[in-house]
Amino acid sequence: MGLSLELRPQVEAQPEAPAPWRFVPPRQHLTRRNVWGGLLLLWLASGLYLVSTDQQAVVTRFGKFHRIETPGIHYHWPYPIEQIHKLTADQLQAATIGGQPADGALGRTDPLRAQFLTGDQNIINVRAVVQYNVKSPREYLFRAYDISKTVGAAVESELGREIAGRSVDDVLTTEKIKIQEAVRQRAQTLLDSYDAGVAIYTVNIDRTAPPDEARDAFADVAGARADAARIVNQAEGYSNDLVPRARGEAQQLLESAQAYKQRKINESLGDASRFTQLAAEYSKAAAVTSHRLYVEAMEQVLPRIRKTIVDRQGGNVDLTIIRGERPQPRPATPASPQR
Amino acid sequence: MHRYRAWIGAALGLVILWATFFTVRETEFVLVTQFGRPVRTVTAAGLNAKWPFQNARYFDRRLRVYNPRPSEFLTRDKKNLVIENYVCWQIDSPETFVRKVISEANAEARLHDVVWAGLSAALGNHDLESIVTPDPARTAAGRIFDRLTEETNSAALAQYGIRVVDVRIKRLNLPQQNKESVFARMRAERERIAKQYRAEGEEQALKIRADADRQKEEIVSVAYKQAEQTRGQGDAESTRIYGQAYSKNPQFYKLVRTLEAYKKVLDDKTTAILSSDSELLRLLTKGQ
Repeated sequence: MGLSLELRPQVEAQPEAPAPWRFVPPRQHLTRRNVWGGLLLLWLASGLYLVSTDQQAVVTRFGKFHRIETPGIHYHWPYPIEQIHKLTADQLQAATIGGQPADGALGRTDPLRAQFLTGDQNIINVRAVVQYNVKSPREYLFRAYDISKTVGAAVESELGREIAGRSVDDVLTTEKIKIQEAVRQRAQTLLDSYDAGVAIYTVNIDRTAPPDEARDAFADVAGARADAARIVNQAEGYSNDLVPRARGEAQQLLESAQAYKQRKINESLGDASRFTQLAAEYSKAAAVTSHRLYVEAMEQVLPRIRKTIVDRQGGNVDLTIIRGERPQPRPATPASPQR
Repeated sequence: MHRYRAWIGAALGLVILWATFFTVRETEFVLVTQFGRPVRTVTAAGLNAKWPFQNARYFDRRLRVYNPRPSEFLTRDKKNLVIENYVCWQIDSPETFVRKVISEANAEARLHDVVWAGLSAALGNHDLESIVTPDPARTAAGRIFDRLTEETNSAALAQYGIRVVDVRIKRLNLPQQNKESVFARMRAERERIAKQYRAEGEEQALKIRADADRQKEEIVSVAYKQAEQTRGQGDAESTRIYGQAYSKNPQFYKLVRTLEAYKKVLDDKTTAILSSDSELLRLLTKGQ
């Protein structure tokens, strides 16, 4: 419409100036208006923006906080009226306290960054990693000059305080989890008191080590603990070996005693039975039986022994003869079977 | 000519507009000065206006963390302690700030002086043990720094227009020259603990061994006792049985037993001189 209005004078002017190149300036004139309109449109269009799913956008109007926009397509009044600040609110950011992890991997340490003083005045190297994200976009953006420095300082301060309140053994062994949790809570309280708009997600102590100067001594303590366990285990082994054996031995004693007892009783019962039967027969013919038994016994005994038979028909016997003619041991005579 | 005048007018208008309105961001304070003299401070963010001949100076109002260099302090019990602290501060009054301090770096230098003086005074009143202690309930560090924060804040606020939000210890350490002795002490302490562990292990092991030995003696001796009792019972029983049987005919027992004994006692090393009168041989010599 505007174009046709502008065109009219040019069309009217044409008969007076028939030169063919005269039609160029009007087009220039025409376009100038269009350019302004286009620029205005462009300026207005520049207010369109996209907030992706992991983001939040804070809009300020003339520098003043105005609103927070969630993911989606939005419009803001273009510069210089409104400005947007996009934030990846849920993304965790990390800060390291006590030297950079990369330094540790390369074997470099920065003692002054990593050393802490424990409650029992030992020096210990601690490195912790803190992860945090945005709790409140408004504070996060506008409150602190350097968020990571602020978070680092707060966590380091609380970490130092927790370590200064504990003994070196506790820090190195049992209390690590407790320290982490305490540091997280207290640093969060501290940062809230600064209105930093930060939420601490975790505080993770990823390295606790005695200083190099005393490392071997600390290692020796671990060794001593292992030694003690080994010695105790050996003793347990000794005990486990000894006691069952003793029980076995005891059982053996008991069994052999029991066997002895039974044998004794059975033998005596046998002997007694034999005797009783013999005695019954004996009393029926005492003289003959006693003589028989005597002679039978002598039959068994006498063949084995050396004997000298002396006939003492009155007078004494000179026993010296025995010494002279010592009879050689007889060739073995088959002795009558012993019972 | 008419068209150019319009252009010039528009440009002039723009410039005046530009010089009149200014925005104050959330992170800023603006000090409006007129020919160098502070007129007013704008603390609320948003669009503001001033006279075009006035100037706007912007100050960052955000919270800053200043880490002074670690410095050495002497405690009441004459021990050295290296303290690394941090100071959280922000500009509170741009007017005072611009008059006394001018720049942020300068502000931190001033803060360092104030904090250092306060800290050395505070530590001079406390023993090392009341700051570094394994018992968190007894530590005075929290109180020291709370007071230091207050004092620093009131001083800085009045003098420099700076608000000190917090002064805190970041790290406690010992001076380098003392560390050697600390390491030596730590080593000695570790050696003591190592010895203690080993000795305690030994102690426990000895106890276990002694206990095992005792158990063994006990088990075996109890068994011995029972075994001997059993044997005794066997012996007693057998004696009773023999006695019962033999006492029925003592004479016959004597005979039988003696003959038995002869069979055992007399062997091939025995030499017997037998009289022909003997019971066995009487027949040999006398024929009757």
